[in-house]
Amino acid sequence: MMSASQIPNLNTLRRGGGRARFRGRGGADGSLSKSNDRAVQGTDNDASVSRLSAVALGYLQDPFADTVVASGLESRRLPIINRGTYVRTTAIDHLVTQFLSQEPQTKKQIISLGAGTDTRAFRLFASQSPPNLVYHEIDFAVNTAAKVKLIRSTPLLQRALGIERPEDATISDAGDALYTGVYHIHPLDLRSLKRASATSDAAHADSRVHLRGVDTTFPTLLISECCLVYLSPSEAGEVVGYFSETLFGAGDGDAKRSSTGTPLGLILYEPIRPDDAFGRTMVSNLAARGIHLQTLHQYASLAAQQKRLREQGFSGGQAAADVDFIWERWVSDEEKERVSGLEMLDEMEEWKLLAQHYCVAWGWREGSAGAFTGWRGIQGQIVD
Amino acid sequence: MSDLDRAIAQLRACRLIPETQVRELCYKARELLIEEGNVVSVDAPVTICGDIHGQFHDLMELFRVGGDVPDTNYLFMGDFVDRGFYSLESFLLLLCLKVRYPDRITLIRGNHESRQITTVYGFYDECIRKYGSANVWRHCCEVFDYLALGALVLGASSELEPTGPALNDTTQSTMPIDSGELETEVLNSKGEVTYSSYRPRQGVPSDVSTDARNISPPRDISSTTGQTPLRSGPPGTGASGEGAGSYSSRTGAVLCVHGGLSPLIDTVDKIRLIDRKQEVPHEGAMCDLLWSDPDEIDGWGLSPRGAGFLFGGDIVKQFNYRNDLSLIARAHQLVMEGYKEMFDGGIVTVWSAPNYCYRCGNVASILELGEDTSNGGTVTRSNGDYERSNGIMTTDKFGVRSPGRRYRVFEAAAQDTRGMPAKKPVADYFL
Repeated sequence: MMSASQIPNLNTLRRGGGRARFRGRGGADGSLSKSNDRAVQGTDNDASVSRLSAVALGYLQDPFADTVVASGLESRRLPIINRGTYVRTTAIDHLVTQFLSQEPQTKKQIISLGAGTDTRAFRLFASQSPPNLVYHEIDFAVNTAAKVKLIRSTPLLQRALGIERPEDATISDAGDALYTGVYHIHPLDLRSLKRASATSDAAHADSRVHLRGVDTTFPTLLISECCLVYLSPSEAGEVVGYFSETLFGAGDGDAKRSSTGTPLGLILYEPIRPDDAFGRTMVSNLAARGIHLQTLHQYASLAAQQKRLREQGFSGGQAAADVDFIWERWVSDEEKERVSGLEMLDEMEEWKLLAQHYCVAWGWREGSAGAFTGWRGIQGQIVD
Repeated sequence: MSDLDRAIAQLRACRLIPETQVRELCYKARELLIEEGNVVSVDAPVTICGDIHGQFHDLMELFRVGGDVPDTNYLFMGDFVDRGFYSLESFLLLLCLKVRYPDRITLIRGNHESRQITTVYGFYDECIRKYGSANVWRHCCEVFDYLALGALVLGASSELEPTGPALNDTTQSTMPIDSGELETEVLNSKGEVTYSSYRPRQGVPSDVSTDARNISPPRDISSTTGQTPLRSGPPGTGASGEGAGSYSSRTGAVLCVHGGLSPLIDTVDKIRLIDRKQEVPHEGAMCDLLWSDPDEIDGWGLSPRGAGFLFGGDIVKQFNYRNDLSLIARAHQLVMEGYKEMFDGGIVTVWSAPNYCYRCGNVASILELGEDTSNGGTVTRSNGDYERSNGIMTTDKFGVRSPGRRYRVFEAAAQDTRGMPAKKPVADYFL
């Protein structure tokens, strides 16, 4: 007979601590306890488990999904979670594809913030016609070291990245950084990236040195897949300002001139709407786990996300849509039918509720090139 | 104390019973259920409950709010299992109560009482984890196959009794409720009244009294009876709301099904003809009864769930008229406000899983239908659409009588103060 205390908590045993990839935060924050750090590590794994679940059931195609999940940790997720993983991944893929397909002869650059276990770079480089692209991933050293280790031990990933001989990749002494000609893993606390003020040239130079292999002339796409939301609003603003002004701007710290710098786009994937019943419960549930979505209240709506992009220099255009809208409007009827047929999704109301609390927002500035022309036709949600 | 009473006591403490006892229980339950028709007749007064979904501690809260078995006569409209972390404890307790008090609790089948759905939504995994094999899951699924598909509540009052039925409260008021026709009180998990509304019978506007307040100390509900004579529940009793549908038969029965109607079913008698003792099919009348949803459409529509149909107000109106029903009560859809009447009160969704999946932030409700002791009372009532009016009722727009309805709205059990598991359930988010 089991006593109450022996009854297994199915949630913690089987479903892990939720879906939090929890990238962009980690051991560097002295205010986080050791146990919180461990929770962070545990949740990083969880997103890859969700991705593998969606792949195994046919929602997504990703030959690399199972390489980043330790054997024995595979777990089938609930249908609404699988659908959410599907929409989030395909929505960002769509924006990425539209960016890469414009002016394909021009070399482009993607910088993924808090990339964690993401497999997007592998998928892009292993595709039938690999794009003319340099891909950067930034994360805490503890995360990048794990990824570098994984690449070193997985021939499939090495082939995807074109690593055929040891000299094709340079790995740091600490084993937490990896550089090939086209793929770079940077061990870095994002909060060290700050806008350089016009007078602090030294800081400016220092900050640029962190990102080896970044070419400040390539049209560049920044991706924050639930990453910046963990920083404070000012820290998150500094990170974006570092790229838009310091690195890719005119370099003099003048925000007005940032619109004339290198073509630059930003994709944000974040929770929104913290103020209704679901949102309040989300905030308090996550807070109980020590997770604080610090910019959530600042950018609580689609309109606020658009305003943020506009104010941070993405003057070419800004749009946003929640995951529910993207499922309804971006996914073709045929594809919807295919996906709906994979699993019976009973919880329609819950799906809508959940999906309306996550959004994708995207903004860009063109500079002189037309790298983001393809984004003009992508439907955002009309903000009420 | 019989073995069954011991099992009930054990399950009430959220402790599982041995596998051999589960097998015996399921066998007895099947013997009982096989005697029930597809549509069980239930006499009012009865308390109608919606989805539970393994939220055991909230089921305990429901009993606290609605009264205990066998004092209160209960009708559960399915979806006992899946999603929550205590499907076994919840379902086995309800089954024990069914076997122990067969005339005081009615269980009908929800779409989650199915082999296929439980393998996806958690109950199967829970059985494996807690019992180490699929045996208990198999026993439970065999019971699922025998659950009735619907229930017909007869003899429901067109007026509300002063208090909910079977509330063993010594302070129970005997004050008739004819001075008010709809009342809602919302209590938080500590028993504090956080909201109260009162709407008088049409034509007695001087009785209007609406307020929103915090009352302290909690649970001293009887002190409010001067303003709100309906409420005199026992200590800890949850919120209540009372309403009445306003179109459909005024004396008619109340049909309870988990999902809704089927284009293949135009009379209640046709439900009786279904061969129900099987796994829930992917299509057909039985599937529709468990899967369909009302929607603001005309006629029938395709369901986004991939099973069942959507049906509009015209369908409900015709069905209720044809079958002399005053109301269709159903569950199946999450309603943030706990209940939602549609189509001029011809149908109501009752949702009884507060903070669904420990994530949705919704309140839950149960629906109390009183016994008809009023000789066909003629109080005119309008529907209590909580959402539309935010609990503050508007004047009666329809003026047709139907059974009095009392909705008791309640929040999720406060886990940390009620001997709940130390490990709080962790909800899933896409981060």
